[in-house]
Amino acid sequence: MLRYAGFFLIATCLAWAPTASAANSVTVVEHALGKATIHGNPARVVSLYQGATDTAVALGIEPVGVVESWTEKPMYRYLRQELQEVAYLGLETQPDLERIAWLAPDLIVGASNRHRTIYPLLDRIAPTVIPGNVYDFKALLALMAKATGRVARGEALLAQWQARVEDFRTRIQRKLGDQWPQEVAILSFRADHARIYYDGFARTVLDELGFAAPVDHRKEGWGIKLTSQESIPAMDAEAVFVFMDDDPAVRRTYETWSSHPLWKNLQAVRQDDVYQVDTVTWNMGAGIIAANRMLDELYRHYNLEQPDREECAQC
Amino acid sequence: MLTSLLARASGTLFCLSLLLMATVSSLVFGHIPVSLDMLVASLMDYDPGSLEHLVVRTERFARTITALVVGAGLAIAGVLMQTLTRNQLASPGILGINAGAMFFVVIGATLFSLTSPSELVWVAFIGAATAAFLVYFLGQEAGRGISPVRTVLAGVAVTALFVSFAQGLLIFNQDRFESILFWLAGSVSGRELNAILPLLPLFGLALLVALLLSRQLNLLGLDDEVTRGLGLRVGHARLLIGLVVIVLAGTSVAMAGLIGFVGLIVPHMARGIFGTDHRWLLPMSAILGATLMLAADTVARMIIPPQEVPVGVMTALLGTPLFLYLARHVRKVS
Amino acid sequence: MTRSLVLRTPGDRWSVKLNVRVLVVTLALAVLLAISSVLALASGSHPTSFVDVLGTLANPAQSELTLIILEIRLPRVIMAILVGGALGSAGLILQGLVRNPLASPDVIGITSGASAAAVLFLWLGGVTGTSLLLAPVAMGGAFSVALCITALAWQQGISPARLVLVGVGLAAALTAVTTLLLVLSPDSTAMNAYIWLTGSLYASQWHDVTALTPWLALCLPLALIKLRHLDAQSMGEDMALGLGSALHGHRLLFLVLAVALAGSAVAYAGAVGFIGLIAPHMARRLVTSGHTGLLPVAALIGALILLYADWIGRVIFIPRDLPAGIFVAGIGAPFFVYLLYRLRRNLG
Repeated sequence: MLRYAGFFLIATCLAWAPTASAANSVTVVEHALGKATIHGNPARVVSLYQGATDTAVALGIEPVGVVESWTEKPMYRYLRQELQEVAYLGLETQPDLERIAWLAPDLIVGASNRHRTIYPLLDRIAPTVIPGNVYDFKALLALMAKATGRVARGEALLAQWQARVEDFRTRIQRKLGDQWPQEVAILSFRADHARIYYDGFARTVLDELGFAAPVDHRKEGWGIKLTSQESIPAMDAEAVFVFMDDDPAVRRTYETWSSHPLWKNLQAVRQDDVYQVDTVTWNMGAGIIAANRMLDELYRHYNLEQPDREECAQC
Repeated sequence: MLTSLLARASGTLFCLSLLLMATVSSLVFGHIPVSLDMLVASLMDYDPGSLEHLVVRTERFARTITALVVGAGLAIAGVLMQTLTRNQLASPGILGINAGAMFFVVIGATLFSLTSPSELVWVAFIGAATAAFLVYFLGQEAGRGISPVRTVLAGVAVTALFVSFAQGLLIFNQDRFESILFWLAGSVSGRELNAILPLLPLFGLALLVALLLSRQLNLLGLDDEVTRGLGLRVGHARLLIGLVVIVLAGTSVAMAGLIGFVGLIVPHMARGIFGTDHRWLLPMSAILGATLMLAADTVARMIIPPQEVPVGVMTALLGTPLFLYLARHVRKVS
Repeated sequence: MTRSLVLRTPGDRWSVKLNVRVLVVTLALAVLLAISSVLALASGSHPTSFVDVLGTLANPAQSELTLIILEIRLPRVIMAILVGGALGSAGLILQGLVRNPLASPDVIGITSGASAAAVLFLWLGGVTGTSLLLAPVAMGGAFSVALCITALAWQQGISPARLVLVGVGLAAALTAVTTLLLVLSPDSTAMNAYIWLTGSLYASQWHDVTALTPWLALCLPLALIKLRHLDAQSMGEDMALGLGSALHGHRLLFLVLAVALAGSAVAYAGAVGFIGLIAPHMARRLVTSGHTGLLPVAALIGALILLYADWIGRVIFIPRDLPAGIFVAGIGAPFFVYLLYRLRRNLG
C-alpha cells in the first residue's frame, strides 16, 4: 500500500513539475533592439507586420491584434481563415497604440524598419521583440517560436522547410542539368513604372533554393524603378518571375512593355521562361507560410513533382 | 544685359543654337546608344526593323517634344505670372496651379484608380484650372479687379489647402502612393505621343495669344492708375493673361507632373540677358525654358542608369546655382 | 488709445508696461488651451470619459488606462502645444525680420533643410541603429540651411529681400533632393518619410517632450526681451539705427531664434507647414501691438491650431491615425481666406 502511495506521490510530483516550471519560466529573448523578458507562455500576441502575422498563424497562434494587410483587405485571403476573431490595429506604418494597450497583450512583435521609433512605448505595454531583418523569415520563425514557447513546433516547421528545399534542389538540378543554377530576375509592374528587385523576400527565398541572380542584379539596395521602356534590357535573365496587382492600369502597362521589341529580345522571353506569380505570397506575406506557397508555385512552374507532405496543419 | 538690336539678335541666335544642341542631345543620349548618323537616318530613311530607329521614333521623340513644350510653356507662364502679380517670386507653384493639379490627380489615383499618364492629363488640367479660378476670385478686390498682393496670398492659401488634402488622401491610401510618386516628382518619360498630341494645338494657341499681348504686358508692369491712364483695359487684359497662364501651366503640369523651378528661374535669366521688354522676353524665355528642360532631361537619364532622376528634381538642381547667383545681385524685390 | 498697465518695482528701478488688451487676449487663449487640452486628453481611439482622465491624472494607478492617458496621449498633447507654440513664434519673428507677410519657416527653407536631412537619414536606414538621432539630424539640417542662407545673403549685412530670395531658392533645391530620395527609396521608407514630411505627432513620447522644452525655455524669453528691436526696424533702417538698435547684430539674433524654434519644432513633429505663416496673421487680427505683445498671442494660437489638428487626425478615422499636418491647413486656410476678405487695401 505504502509502495503505491509512494509511487503515486512521485508521479504527481513529476506531473506537477513541468507545469510549475512553465508557469514560473522566464524567457529572455534577444532581438535587434534589445532584450525582452517574457514570463510563461504568451497567450495574447499582437503582430505589427505581415511576416509576424504569417508566422504566428504557422505556429498555431491566433493573435489578439494584427495590422491590416496592404491588399485583399483587411487580411490576405491565404491567412483569413485562421484570423476570424482578431482586432485590426490600422496600418503597419502607424498602428493604433491605444488599441494595442487596451488589448493587454503578453507579447508584441514589430518590424525594425517601421517600429523603431515606437519601440520604447511598445515595450512599456508588453514585452516586445523586433527581428533585425524583415525578409529573414527563418530567423523570425525561430524568434517567435522562442518567445511564445513553441520551440518544438517552430523546429518542426523549419525542418520541414529544409526538407522541401533539398527536394526542390535535387529535382530542379535533375531537370535543368547544365543550365542549373539558373539566373532569374524578379520583376514587378506598377501603373507608371516597372521594378527590378535586387533584394527582398522573394530574392531571399530564391537564393536559398539555389537560383542565381544576373550579374547586373547583384547590387546593393532593394532594387530599381524603371520609367522608360528603353531600359528593358536591364531586366534580362534566363528566366523571369513577374508579379503585379490586379489593376487595369497595371495590366495596361504590362501589355505595353511586353509588346515592345526590346522585351521580345530578352533571353527569358525568347526561351518562354516568363512566369507570372502571385504578388501576395511573393512580395507581401514575408513569413513561412508564404515561403511554402511560393515553393508550391515554383514546383508548378517547372513541372516538378512534389513529394507527399507529412501532416502539418498550417503549412 | 543686351540692349542694342544687334546684341539682342546675336543673343537670340546663340540661344537658338543652344536649343538645337539640347534637342539633338535629347534624341541621341540614352540607355541605347544612338549615333548622329543613325539619328538622321531614323528621321529621313526610317527602318522599322532597326532598334535604334524605333527607340528614336517612339521613346526619344515623345520625350523631346514633351520637354520642349513643357519647358517653353512653364517659362512663359512664369513670365506672365511675375508680370501680372508684380512679384518676382511668382510662379505656377506659388499660385496654386501645381497644387490644384496635384490634388485632382491624387483624387483620380486614389478614389478612381486612374494612373496612366494619358488619363491623368485631363484630370490634372481640370485641377489646375479649378485652383486658378479659385485664386483668381479670391484675389479680387471689390471694385478694382485683381489685386496682385491678394492674389499671391490667395495662392498661398489655396496651395496649402490642396496640398494638405492631397497628402491626406495619399496617406489614407498608402498603397496608391507609389503609383503616382513619379508624377509628383515630375517626369517626361513613358509618355505616349498620342496622349500628348491633342494638347499641342492648345499650347500653340496660348503661346500665340501671349506673344500678341506683349505690348499690354509691358504696360501692366506699371502702376494701375498709370496703366489705365494709358488706355489699357486692365481688368480684361488681366483676365486674358490669367486664362493663358492656366492653359500653359495646367497642360504642362498635366503632361509632365510637378515641375517647379522652370517658371521661377527662367524668367529671371531671360530678364537678366534681354531686359524687361516682353516682345523679347517672352520668346527668349520660351527658348531658354525649353533648353533647360531638354538639358535637364538628358542629364537626368545619364546619371544613374538604368534608372532616371525625375526631371523636376534635375531642373531644380541645375537651376539653383544660377538662381542663387542672380539672387545675390538683386537690388530690390517688390 | 491703448490701455496699459505699468508695473514698477519699489524704488522705480525696473518697470514694465503691459498692454491690457494683450493681457486679456493672452489669458483668454491660455484658458481655451487648457480646456482644449483636457478635452483632447479625453478623446482617442479608445473611448475614455472626462472623469477617467481626471481620475488618472490625480491618482495614477498601474493599468492600461493609465498607460493610454499618461504615456500615449499626454506627451502627444503637450508636444502639440510646444510645437505649435514654437512654430507660431518662429513665424512671427521671421515675418517681422523679413518684413514680408508671406514669410514663414517653410518658405524660407528652414523646414526644407530639416526635411532633406531627415529624409536622407531615413533613406540611409538610420545607420547608427537608433532613430533617436532623427530629431538632432533634422535640427542640424535646419541650422545648416540657415547658415547657407545667411552666408549667401550676406553682403555687408543682411538685407531682407535677399534673404527671402536665397531662402526660396534653397527651399526649392532641397525639396528636389527630398523628392529624389523619396523616389529612390523602397516603399516602406518612402511612406515613413512622406508621413514625416506631412507633419505627424504620432508616438510622441516623454523623451521628446524633455528634449524640446529646453529650446522653448531658452528662445521664447530671449525673444520676448529683444523683440522690441523688430518694431524699431519696421520704421526703417535709419530710424532703427538712430534709436540705438544694433541693426545687423539683432537681425542675426532674430534669424537664429527663428531657426532654433522652427528647427526644433520640425525636428520632433515633422515638416508641419502653414502654422508659421498663419498664426502671426491671426494674432494681428486679435491684437494690435508691437511684436512683443504679439509673441505670446501668436504662440498660443499656433499651439491651439496644432492641438486641434492633431485631435482631429486622431479621432476622425479610427483606427487610422492621420498626420496633424493635413488638418493644419484645413483649419488655417479657410480662416486665411476669410482674412483676405476683410483685408484693407494697404497690404505689405
